Amino acid sequence: MPVKSNYAENASPMFRILSPRQCEEILLAAQEVLERTGVTVYDEEARDTLKKAGCWVDDILVRIPSAVVDRALRSVPKRVTLCNSRTGSRDVRLEGYNAYFGTGSDTPFTIDPYTGKRQRSTKQSVSNACKVIDALENLDFVMSLGIVQDVPLLISDRHQFEAQVLNTGKPIVTTAHDIYGFADIIEMCEIIAGGEEELRRNPFMTLYAEPISPLQHAWEAASKLILAAKKGLPVVYTPCVMAGGTVPATMAGVLTQGLAESLSGLVINQSTREGSPFIMGGVFTIMDMATTIFSYGSPEFNLLMSCLADLAHYLKIPMFGTAGCSDSNLVDEQAGIEGALSIAMTALSGPNLNHDVGYIEYGSTSSLEFLTINNDVIGMARRLVRGIQVNDETLALDLIHKIGPGGHFLCEDHTMKHFKTETYYPNLIDRQRYESWVETGSKTLFERANEKVKDIIENYEPDPLPKDIQQKIRGIVERSEQKIAK
Amino acid sequence: MSKSQYVRANYQVNATPQLKMLSDDQCESILNGALEVLERTGAEIHSQEALDVFKKGGCWVDGNMVRFPSHIVEWAIRNAPSRIVISNQKGERTLFLEGQNVYYGPGPTNTYTIDPFTGERRRPRKADTVRAAKVIDALPNISYAMDCGTVMDVTPTLSDVHAFQAMLENTNKPIIHWGFGIDQYQDIIDMAAVVAGGLEALQQNPFILLYSESSPPLRHSVEAIDKAIFAAKNNIPIVYTPCTFAGGVAPATMAATLVIAVADSLVGLVAGQLVRKGSGFVMGGLISTMDMASTILSYGAAELSLLSAGLTAVARYMKIPMFSTGGCTDSKVIDTQMGLEAAFSILIAGLSGANLIHDCSYMEYGATSSLELMTMDDEIIGMVKRILQGVEVDDEHLALDVINKVGPGGHYLAEDHTMKHFWGFWAPTLINRLRYDGWKAEGSKPMAQRVKEKTQDIINNHKPEPKSESVLAEIQAIVDRAEAREANKR
Amino acid sequence: MSNYYEELTQSIISGQLDRVKSLTQQAIGAGNNPIDIINQGLIPGMSVVGARFKVGKMYVPEVLMSARAMDAGMQLVKPLILSEDIPSAGKIVIGTVKGDLHDIGKNLVSMMLESAGYTVINVGVDAGPEKFLQAVKEHQPGVIGMSALLTTTMLSMKDTIELLKEEGLRDKVKVIIGGAPISQDFADEIGADGFAPDAGSAADLCKKLLA
Repeated sequence: MPVKSNYAENASPMFRILSPRQCEEILLAAQEVLERTGVTVYDEEARDTLKKAGCWVDDILVRIPSAVVDRALRSVPKRVTLCNSRTGSRDVRLEGYNAYFGTGSDTPFTIDPYTGKRQRSTKQSVSNACKVIDALENLDFVMSLGIVQDVPLLISDRHQFEAQVLNTGKPIVTTAHDIYGFADIIEMCEIIAGGEEELRRNPFMTLYAEPISPLQHAWEAASKLILAAKKGLPVVYTPCVMAGGTVPATMAGVLTQGLAESLSGLVINQSTREGSPFIMGGVFTIMDMATTIFSYGSPEFNLLMSCLADLAHYLKIPMFGTAGCSDSNLVDEQAGIEGALSIAMTALSGPNLNHDVGYIEYGSTSSLEFLTINNDVIGMARRLVRGIQVNDETLALDLIHKIGPGGHFLCEDHTMKHFKTETYYPNLIDRQRYESWVETGSKTLFERANEKVKDIIENYEPDPLPKDIQQKIRGIVERSEQKIAK
Repeated sequence: MSKSQYVRANYQVNATPQLKMLSDDQCESILNGALEVLERTGAEIHSQEALDVFKKGGCWVDGNMVRFPSHIVEWAIRNAPSRIVISNQKGERTLFLEGQNVYYGPGPTNTYTIDPFTGERRRPRKADTVRAAKVIDALPNISYAMDCGTVMDVTPTLSDVHAFQAMLENTNKPIIHWGFGIDQYQDIIDMAAVVAGGLEALQQNPFILLYSESSPPLRHSVEAIDKAIFAAKNNIPIVYTPCTFAGGVAPATMAATLVIAVADSLVGLVAGQLVRKGSGFVMGGLISTMDMASTILSYGAAELSLLSAGLTAVARYMKIPMFSTGGCTDSKVIDTQMGLEAAFSILIAGLSGANLIHDCSYMEYGATSSLELMTMDDEIIGMVKRILQGVEVDDEHLALDVINKVGPGGHYLAEDHTMKHFWGFWAPTLINRLRYDGWKAEGSKPMAQRVKEKTQDIINNHKPEPKSESVLAEIQAIVDRAEAREANKR
Repeated sequence: MSNYYEELTQSIISGQLDRVKSLTQQAIGAGNNPIDIINQGLIPGMSVVGARFKVGKMYVPEVLMSARAMDAGMQLVKPLILSEDIPSAGKIVIGTVKGDLHDIGKNLVSMMLESAGYTVINVGVDAGPEKFLQAVKEHQPGVIGMSALLTTTMLSMKDTIELLKEEGLRDKVKVIIGGAPISQDFADEIGADGFAPDAGSAADLCKKLLA
């Protein structure tokens, strides 16, 4: 066999939207926004921290000199690892171009897989969703896929977390109403992990917080960033911005302001404790000017997601992305199109922690069928991203010569050896011949997905938490209920 | 912004997204693999004329086995034009098959079609190609026509000629068309010459590409290879497209599947270049994987996109225009699977930079043609084109002054800057972004329903720009001539 | 001491060619009846494979590995049996029709038929009506199978049926057809006895027609 020299190969497809210089231009622009325009911060402790770090504080307006941002960019870790809460296995490594997929969290509605009706999400619907996520091989982490609305609203976040952690071992990205909710959830996690230090070393959860665009950090958000830093736990900070609404209508303007919002959150976090794990988020999209929705399916949404991934890689910060979601009000062709475009773009761009798989109705409703369908789409995208291996074994010139013109390769050992790894075989996507498809009931993809969802809900059992731990978690939920009862 | 008058040096911009499936070194490996196969294994050629052409050109001919010395293949690659410009039927230059320009269109020769009015799956008729041509003519993101199904209610051996007539009469877009054999190809060229105003005008400003499929691995039927020769003789560009699927007619590995596809394309290229140096050649490839459970050639698999992007990279490396595949599905019904498979392949084919992307009408792993799918694909292509435009990064688009003016807590809805730029947002027509209650009030339609309505509306109401009576009469005369010839053969 | 049948069956299912060879050899050496080796060891393995393929639990290359293993076993046993005693589900002539060089579908069907226990005579590609006629005369099969990929070439299937009629052989043989453009309607229209949409169902169809 010949020995090659000076041979460069693309071990995966190479994809990017912004050049390194364009990334730099946008970073510099965001720093200019922070230094000139500034952000408003509605939490006193955060303002004090920022002031100490060297920011210019004027009442609630904080302007951030570029050197402070530079320092935060230097201190933030390049990688964050999330674990399985049952096995402790460090499954989700948020670094480089690794792309993991998971669901979204707080939809008010969900589609009941048994009645097909759109209904308010409940503790039971969240439990079912987590079971389904736990069972799907291409889903890597969990968000609740619904707000629990059949419990006292003030402490519904505790119930929501309980429903999640009882039904899946996969890492959880958790929302909470405020730092008190967060504190209770962290306490639950520490019990499961076996202590505060254990949780910090092998976190199976990350907190989630959002600024309010344009350029505002509410008390809830800023205090969560501080709590996460004090606890040494990872936090996702994710601006949700609408081009033409809360950010400029131009894509570069969206990226600039969205990045400024993220970076000011980063400064709050890192100024509290340097080296705190921080995951940069961003759901950047357009406001649809006909309907005023925050679009989860537009091409601009996909484009901005990939650009933000380029920026995150440029800055070397783990990134929270968005994919597998749709503006459609039901799981139809449009949902398929929008889900596929966003998942393919995301897999190619490589943001790390990609949420909202299973959202329909521009993020207002969740669908377990859509989630299950997207499990296959993620498989397709992952196959694409594994790329084409070119070497003597895969080129197979001797085999081609052996078979010669007009032959076939079905009976070859080489085929047997490679066909399963070279080709992705989906679960629900149908490739039967027409006649067999008719024989098996002429089902649409949605119908097959619905059957699978029901099968998982009825027959799948996630690894349980030990009974005593379940009781301790229950205790924390009940304690919070007693508090509000007073 | 009142920045100083700065000038930026060393500033490289990605004007569009950049996808590179294979490195140049990998492309070279694939090409070398194909050259080695052609030189060592060779190809089986079933046409005497082609065997003579190859022999005269210096290839090693032994019976119907031909082996190709690498220098001859490399000579052919060098001589093939790196750009081919295709006009519409009015003579306006519209498809610039060069660089990484991307154009989408439907596909040919399905054995079934779905009637967009009755929903029935049935054999295609000439009237279906009439409908298809109208839909093609009306859809802005469909750049050229193909027949969308083998017409079966005419003289069987003239299905191609009748379909071509139906397209000429109902669209002015460029046409890529197949033919059973040389006689039919002559009919087609004659008809096209009538529209173009003479054969020479057609050759200088072609609005047709001929289309020929070989049967991999490494086997070229009389019809396939003779068509490549015929096209070169007549100086009309040809798409030469082997249909290669991993595990079946190629090894199960992706790299070897590319080797077979490239080798088989190059056989057609060499034939054409030996007949006429510089004749227009577009490298094809329907390339995907064989589903080992159902044995279909999958039109929705991730591997279709992966392999097509790989083949496009090799074509680009050789600087030969590329005919690729997208917008198709294995689904038998208009459903979520159709949407997601079509979107996946349209996106990746677009990012790969293939010049002609066909089969935006294929469902049921290519067995059935659907005008509704084509209408849906038109919308998906619109979305993908927006992605392909990328992002502009300059002072106007960074908009720091506007951000500063609005400041924390404001909004951008009333800004001049917003007014000026929001028109750049891609505007959906079939994708629905109504709020839930508004959508319910409008009848809770799934996308399939909206697609059906639009397709029907085009068929009922779209009026393509008509051709003159005399042109139509001349075309009819050629069809009549063909009918008489085929009647004599029987 | 077992008579090796159960292990043979399992080795066929998992497609282990060398294992099947050595087990068959041992079974012969231990004095088992060769016909029993086929009927109780080899064929039951392929039956399981066929059933698993049908419900999507096995893929084509795996089926073919099993078929290859079975064939290796058969080759060892066959010399020990009078040829008329070799179990066969029936004889089938198969080919791709005139003007058509596409033969992967036809080859796949032929391999599936063989693995279901049929004796298959493959007449290759570009086979005109005369070639099928000659094969029918020579081999006296229970079924002939014609394959076509192109809409133009599928028309020649009818010619073959007509020729069989002219020669008075149409009643002696069942005609089945398949290929991408073929449908049940077309089979009915040209007077074929059956149509199989895929390789797996072709074997079932033959079983039905020869029952």
